[in-house]
Amino acid sequence: MNSPLKTAAPDAIVHPLKQQKPESAELSPEMKLVQEALFKHVGKPIPRKEDGRLITGKGRFSDDFSLPGQTYAAIVRSPYPHARINGIDKTEALASPGVLLVLTGEDILADGIRDIPHNPVPSTNFDMKLRAKDGSHAFTGPHFLLPSDKARHVGEAVAIVVAETAAQAADGAEKVMVDWEELPFVTDTAKAAEPGAPTIWDEVPDNVFIDTTFGDVEGTNAAFAAADHVVKAEFHVHRVTGVTMEPRASLGSYDPETKRYTLYAGSGGAVRQKNELSKVLGIEPKDLRVLSFDVGGNFGTRNRVYVEFGLVLWASAKIGRPVKFTATRSESFLTDYQGRDLVSKVELAIRKDGKFLAMRSDNLSNVGGRAVSLSPLSKGSGLITGSYDIPYATLRARAVFSNTMCTQAYRSSGRPEVTFAIERMCELAADQLGFDKLELRRMNLIPPSAMPYTNAVGSVYDSGEYEKNMDRALEISEWATFDARKVEAARRGKLLGRGFANYVESSIGTPKERAEIEIKEDGNIEVIIGTQPSGQGHETSFAQVVADMLQVPVEKVWIVLGDTDIVSVGGGSHSGRSMRHAGTVMAMASADLLAEGRKRSAELLGSTPDQIDFEGGVFKLRNSNQTIDIFELGRRTRASHGPLRVIRDNEMHTPVFPNGAAICEVEIDRDTGHVQIVRYTTIDDVGRCINPLIVHGQTHGGIAQGVGQAMWELCAIDPVSGQPLAGSLMDYGMPRSDNMPSFNCEIAEVFSPTNPLGIKAGGEGGTTPALATVVNAVVDALSEFGVKDIQMPVTPANVWRAMNNGRKAS
Amino acid sequence: MSRITITVNGTPQTRDVEDRTLLVQFIREHLGLTGTHVGCDTTQCGACTIHLDGKAVKSCTVLAVAADGSQVTTIEGLAEGGKLHDVQQAFHEHHGLQCGYCTPGMIMASVDMIRRHDGMLDEHTVRHELEGNICRCTGYHNIVKAVLDAAEKHRAAHAVAAE
Repeated sequence: MNSPLKTAAPDAIVHPLKQQKPESAELSPEMKLVQEALFKHVGKPIPRKEDGRLITGKGRFSDDFSLPGQTYAAIVRSPYPHARINGIDKTEALASPGVLLVLTGEDILADGIRDIPHNPVPSTNFDMKLRAKDGSHAFTGPHFLLPSDKARHVGEAVAIVVAETAAQAADGAEKVMVDWEELPFVTDTAKAAEPGAPTIWDEVPDNVFIDTTFGDVEGTNAAFAAADHVVKAEFHVHRVTGVTMEPRASLGSYDPETKRYTLYAGSGGAVRQKNELSKVLGIEPKDLRVLSFDVGGNFGTRNRVYVEFGLVLWASAKIGRPVKFTATRSESFLTDYQGRDLVSKVELAIRKDGKFLAMRSDNLSNVGGRAVSLSPLSKGSGLITGSYDIPYATLRARAVFSNTMCTQAYRSSGRPEVTFAIERMCELAADQLGFDKLELRRMNLIPPSAMPYTNAVGSVYDSGEYEKNMDRALEISEWATFDARKVEAARRGKLLGRGFANYVESSIGTPKERAEIEIKEDGNIEVIIGTQPSGQGHETSFAQVVADMLQVPVEKVWIVLGDTDIVSVGGGSHSGRSMRHAGTVMAMASADLLAEGRKRSAELLGSTPDQIDFEGGVFKLRNSNQTIDIFELGRRTRASHGPLRVIRDNEMHTPVFPNGAAICEVEIDRDTGHVQIVRYTTIDDVGRCINPLIVHGQTHGGIAQGVGQAMWELCAIDPVSGQPLAGSLMDYGMPRSDNMPSFNCEIAEVFSPTNPLGIKAGGEGGTTPALATVVNAVVDALSEFGVKDIQMPVTPANVWRAMNNGRKAS
Repeated sequence: MSRITITVNGTPQTRDVEDRTLLVQFIREHLGLTGTHVGCDTTQCGACTIHLDGKAVKSCTVLAVAADGSQVTTIEGLAEGGKLHDVQQAFHEHHGLQCGYCTPGMIMASVDMIRRHDGMLDEHTVRHELEGNICRCTGYHNIVKAVLDAAEKHRAAHAVAAE
């Protein structure tokens, strides 16, 4: 098979799971530590350490910080989807009460402020390699803090106004006069890639800046030629936005004495913000300190640098006072990095007994006005065949510019899109060819015996028991007794429908992570790590891991995050990477720490390290009653050896593949088309589960975001004016307490062979199959109307229309 | 500008404020009580919920001058004598919060709901009455569990008190 990995990665990079293992390989210190661990904390539903401050109003969110002499910024934004900036007149704004400063794209060029180095193409060893049509590295569109040429989407920042108060800044922003020249625009994904569409960047006249084909084209063609059936469909997994409850906020200051900048800004990882923003400002990374403590939701939207973060730093140096910017909810709707927006055309070749033979997929990702991240396209590309053994596949992966806000990874980046496609294809194939939809899936599932399994586009699934997940989900959802519930619902005038979806997803993420562990003099253990939680409970789950590795009570372990003067290296939190990367490097650092501890104890007890045992947090000289506690050892050797402290770096490229199944039951009102979810069941194989309380919570939230997209959420754009229509929570449908059900969730733990603790990832799995299972349930409920497919979101209007179109058709 | 006095968490606070100042701005910016959050500016999300004269209200939609002379309780004033309120405790035990941004508003709304219903709450009522508080992290599952648990405690405590 012509694997894309062969062309993408040099021959030297062999997937770790595909390497020959020497017979007598010695266990690594961290593997030994994990295998011998007693796990007193890991696996327990321990309530979170971080809750104390958050339930008493003592959280530290970005806008909670204020500095003496602070000023406020407001942003002038483009009212047009595509318009040339012929000039900007600041005069009236500068004369407005309290206004101190107005800056535009011309000032950016004059000051040599550089574009944000987003580096949008995923580049770990096992990411799908996305390239331009000619195979070259793609032009991705520079992202300056303020453009000087033109605005490429509604809401693009074109000037910053700084004033004494927030209200004065907002007043001043109204008085900045921009000489706009409106240009033809395109916002629709498919239309942006059509010949003759308005050009967003002159460098890419046809807007399609990524066009890469993966898989075995000849093999796929041959399999299609030999197939008994071919099922075709087209899907659009529409644009949504993250709606973090904390609007993005930033506070920048500059100290002329030390020539250092400080930024308070919640994000998905302060280290990335520091590195990229220092390049924007043209300063050394050490001259920028970024602080990111409590973050009010991320879901991917905050992983990349926002222009306002650079603007407040730049402006603060200009006026010599701190500058604060906090987005309004409307600004968040317009300009938070958005999610999804993938059009896919899919074909499935099937043998007459139901065996899937081959698949073709043409995936087109709408990145918006410039490419901030190609994670969604890339992540999905590796997973087009889903949980099924499909021997041949070809994928054409394209990305297109349009006059919309940029897209980015959003809750389970790229995976819900392709899961939607393959799971809808299963339903359509079963319906068209007369198979039972569960049996068709079952006969094509990848069996555990095939693991590690290389799929037709080259992804290596590490482990999983897919059919077992499916059986368990069917059992706990009471699938078998559905008919009785359907009859009961019908008596109340409701249409009951059920949907099923399998899923497999990938967790890759930035490969590097560092852990620093120190035994403190006060009897606590401090762990410094570069991930950035926004509700995932790292302060608790990471402490559980270190507590078990060092055999101390979890109360003694404290996780330090979010200040780049303390946290030097760190990949941040995205792609479900944190527990796995942090768990691995913390296990390694713990092994290092215990090795150092054995050495020091041996010196104190007059022996050699190999004679020292460690148990219950105590070093012990073998065959003696001489012992020393780990904290005591730290204290007693501090003067002679320095703090008992280790720093460990790790780089891990191998992805893991969480998997599972989800089942949804919906009731639809015959008269109004209103859809209510009445049951929702999931099984998620997360690998080793460190804290089930937290993992279940992640699953619940993930489900809500997937269900939200399927049912209500939509970044609607008026096709005539190009104006976004969802500018507040009044016109963007959200999951709320009264439209969501309670969930029935179970965790499966098939340990991953890729890392010492066997972790996969939790949380994204709630989202990944949700779109498919909800739509499958709605189509099932509407089957009596002849409905075969429906475009998301399944709002009452869409459902009512489908019912009536179906009626006419039948 | 107007001079107003609002009693916040038991302490009278007198400030000169612009007439356009919102109550939430008064609480956050004038008093530095940053536990009350702003999530939407349009009275949709409930992150800014506080108690105004004993009732849960969204403080982004009340002018500070309109609250002159009132009693306000914020999340910072809920725990008494270092002991968490039952609703705070229940949110912790049931993992009813993740990022914690909606949590203060969610807790203040829940405390008021339990009081109004004397703790006589079921899942349907809790879901219906919390509809004006948006959470993006939890899917509401554990929030509902937490509120029902705190309501149960409220009922039990009042049953004891009535005996």
